[in-house]
Amino acid sequence: MSPVTTGIIGIGVLIIMFLLRMPIAFAMALVGFAGFAYLSTPGAALGLLARDIFEQFSSYPLSVIPMFILMGSFAFAVGISRRLYDTAYTWVGQLRGGLTIATVLACAGFGAICGSSTATAATMGKIALPEMKRYNYDDTLATGTVAAAGTLGILIPPSTVLIVFGILTEESIGKLFIAGVFPGLLLSLLFALTVYFICLRNPTLGPSGAPTSWRKKAVALTGIIETLALFALAIGGLFAGLFSPTMAGAVGAAGALIIGLARRKLTWQTFFEAAKDGLQTSCMVLFILAGATVFGHFMAISRIPFELAEWLEGLPLPTMGIVGIIVFIFFIGGFFMDAMAMIVLLIPIFYPVLTALNVDLIWFGVIVVLVGEMGVITPPVGVNVFVIKGIAPDIPIEKIFKGIFPFLYALIICTIILMAFPQIATFLPGFASY
Amino acid sequence: MLVTNINVIGANLFHSPLRGTIDMVMLFQLIAVAFACSVTLIIGKHIRVEILVTKLPQCVQAITASIISLLTLGLFVLIIWRLCVLGYSFQTGGETTATAHIPIYPFAYGVAFASIPVCLVILHEFLSSLARVIKR
Repeated sequence: MSPVTTGIIGIGVLIIMFLLRMPIAFAMALVGFAGFAYLSTPGAALGLLARDIFEQFSSYPLSVIPMFILMGSFAFAVGISRRLYDTAYTWVGQLRGGLTIATVLACAGFGAICGSSTATAATMGKIALPEMKRYNYDDTLATGTVAAAGTLGILIPPSTVLIVFGILTEESIGKLFIAGVFPGLLLSLLFALTVYFICLRNPTLGPSGAPTSWRKKAVALTGIIETLALFALAIGGLFAGLFSPTMAGAVGAAGALIIGLARRKLTWQTFFEAAKDGLQTSCMVLFILAGATVFGHFMAISRIPFELAEWLEGLPLPTMGIVGIIVFIFFIGGFFMDAMAMIVLLIPIFYPVLTALNVDLIWFGVIVVLVGEMGVITPPVGVNVFVIKGIAPDIPIEKIFKGIFPFLYALIICTIILMAFPQIATFLPGFASY
Repeated sequence: MLVTNINVIGANLFHSPLRGTIDMVMLFQLIAVAFACSVTLIIGKHIRVEILVTKLPQCVQAITASIISLLTLGLFVLIIWRLCVLGYSFQTGGETTATAHIPIYPFAYGVAFASIPVCLVILHEFLSSLARVIKR
């Protein structure tokens, strides 16, 4: 059997393993190991398995992931997310759908200190959903908004998905982070406009709240100072070249703890709970990366990425057309995989094609994150939707999926705008020094 | 996190970075992640695709769960064995970290040891799903 045929069978077996509910990380390691053993020797594959796991777990570049995950966990534990939401509500609560717009803004704010979409959706869902229920907001709109706006967590820096993309493609994590700023703001605006227009057409879906005075609005602004300070410290330090990505994450996590101490919100219990949660999430991500490394070695020896690169390069299409095909494959993959899993599986396959075509990988990273965001809210594997279902168990899952569709259009529009105007993502990285 | 922050403060304020920071971060991460794996597995934090299996009859679900658990168990047994082999090669080769020169082999053995509870969790999953198959 030729290496390419073996590789294709390996991908098929991997998909079957996924569908049979094997954890994605273990499935990639197992299939990668078996495929590598078949194409080289069992001895070589056995050596590769242990070494890949050991090297990924002890990789210093990957230590950026636990650091930024800890920063988000600590920020939630010390109540920064709650204060962000209160500020947003004070400012936009009196608009139609004010609570949902406030949720979008708070998710954007929390995305600036948390790098995970599920963590952002879970954090804001716990705060915003009871409030929206209290003000008789439509369940479909409320849950759909939180699930969709939670995805801002992986676009607005810091972003675990962009970190992993940067590691896989050897691109600067600082540049990738900063590239996500304008697209993140654009998407937040599109989400807020989506909510506003939905409620303009049908005001009963999101009744307006009580108006607040300008004095109250001004006072409420203090609620975002901590977020701005943390963002400026971690991402600003990274952007200015003061810190490496790992240092930026560690400084941000320490900053969140100091805020908690200053506000007397940090207890030993909250500290341990947040640290435990952060460690478990980091373990999950690093295991996926270890599994993907083993699988990536199998893919490399099967020559599939190189054959695919040659085939795509030979297509009578302009570069943008080929990139469009690749983005479409990511879009389809997003229906069945989490954003992180999709990136670790597909990037090693398409990386040779993208480099051969001289595609700006910083821009492509942002596009992939946008497509990944669609994946985490669309059925059948909409991770954020499942998170929201966990927070609001009384709301049928079909209702939540129905609620995300207007936001899916916003995501598609944002992706098209970014494909037409790549400068939105590539402008800021030109100034980054790290 | 603590080690990195001490290094940042030392390097930026006192021009005296903490020697071996990178080595310590790498090794702490290795041990923390390896020992967190079994708990992560127990609480179901590892990402799985749920679309197909949940729609299958209970009996088929139990059979597929048994097969998957058995395959995963086999994978982890191989991982433990090879990590011990890797640790031994580090030990005999006298391999250490780049700057602090900390011997690496105890950490390879440590990760192998931390994988034993993972095997036990998977074995429990296997036996539970097997019991479900037999009951039906």
